[in-house]
Amino acid sequence: MIGAEQRPDTLAARAGALFSAYRDGDEHRMGELIALLTPILWHTVRAQRLDREAAEDVLQTTWLTLVRSAESIADSRAVLQWLLVTARREAWRVSRQADRVEPQDFDSDVIATSPDLVPEQVLRDAELGQLWHHVRQLPERCRRLLRVIAFADRPDYAAVAEALGMPVGSIGPTRGRCLAKLRAQLAADPAWEM
Amino acid sequence: MAVADGDADRIAADQIDAVDERALRRLAEIYDELDPVPPGMVERLQFAVTLEALNAEVAQLQWVEPELTGARTDDLGATEVQTVTFTSESLTTMITITPSGLDEVRVDGWAAPGGGVSVELRVAGGRLQVTADADGRFVFEDVPRGLAQFVLRAPPGDRHPPVVTPSIDL
Repeated sequence: MIGAEQRPDTLAARAGALFSAYRDGDEHRMGELIALLTPILWHTVRAQRLDREAAEDVLQTTWLTLVRSAESIADSRAVLQWLLVTARREAWRVSRQADRVEPQDFDSDVIATSPDLVPEQVLRDAELGQLWHHVRQLPERCRRLLRVIAFADRPDYAAVAEALGMPVGSIGPTRGRCLAKLRAQLAADPAWEM
Repeated sequence: MAVADGDADRIAADQIDAVDERALRRLAEIYDELDPVPPGMVERLQFAVTLEALNAEVAQLQWVEPELTGARTDDLGATEVQTVTFTSESLTTMITITPSGLDEVRVDGWAAPGGGVSVELRVAGGRLQVTADADGRFVFEDVPRGLAQFVLRAPPGDRHPPVVTPSIDL
């Protein structure tokens, strides 16, 4: 690539390259972009307590919005952030509507479909169970952040956190509070291999 | 464990290291296991976006041989011929699928009115492209099995919108 700056091969960089190719007329790249970013967007929306069906609807709206506004996005390299912001806002809009229709019923869907309350014994891998034991003790705000961050690459953490509406410094390049809490818990756990 | 405030500040202000990254990668595994992306969702999103981008007409899957109904058919008879029909406002397309190898099929199609229609077959590994003859007939040889989707475009000069079919399992 002539004149292209050196970029790390992160999720955000790969997404930006695919979106840029799509805008330059290579329509096939959009399908690849969807496949690449569906996991991180899925967990972004699910972390907002939407049930699985509503989450899929939100993702569809998000992608259709991208196609419709493809030309108006200023910087194609920021497409991951753009999608995260759009998905988060749409999820928020949908969940607010749902709240208005019926008060949150904690016996039903939300709990049944949120993994945050699953006990660690459910995980067959012992190390995963151990990690989950610590993650479950984090405040919900931190679980939401780390859930999404887990699907990104280190150089993207700060931009992802910002797109999620977290204050600057929440994570990346330094740990920030949430990851620090987890790290301290893991460090104190003799069974966790550092 | 209780972490003194000073310690917590110091840990938070340190650079993220490989241990943190590994914990986060493992956390992604947990969420993948506890709350996986729904099966087929990526394909459904791609389909919705294709329609939007092409401004296309959607064909309905009209009639299917019993063995081909359902999203997945893993036990197709080896010599079985399958026929599927798609209809949309401007076009009817009949597709016949015949096994041509261990993992390949031959696809014979007939679009009406389909003289000169350009037919694209989207499969997992890429896109195949043929042009229908004057009668609207077209053939794809040695197509890999798996999910496939057709996009039919009218010949140049014809202003009909493209037609997109739902994905079917070849």
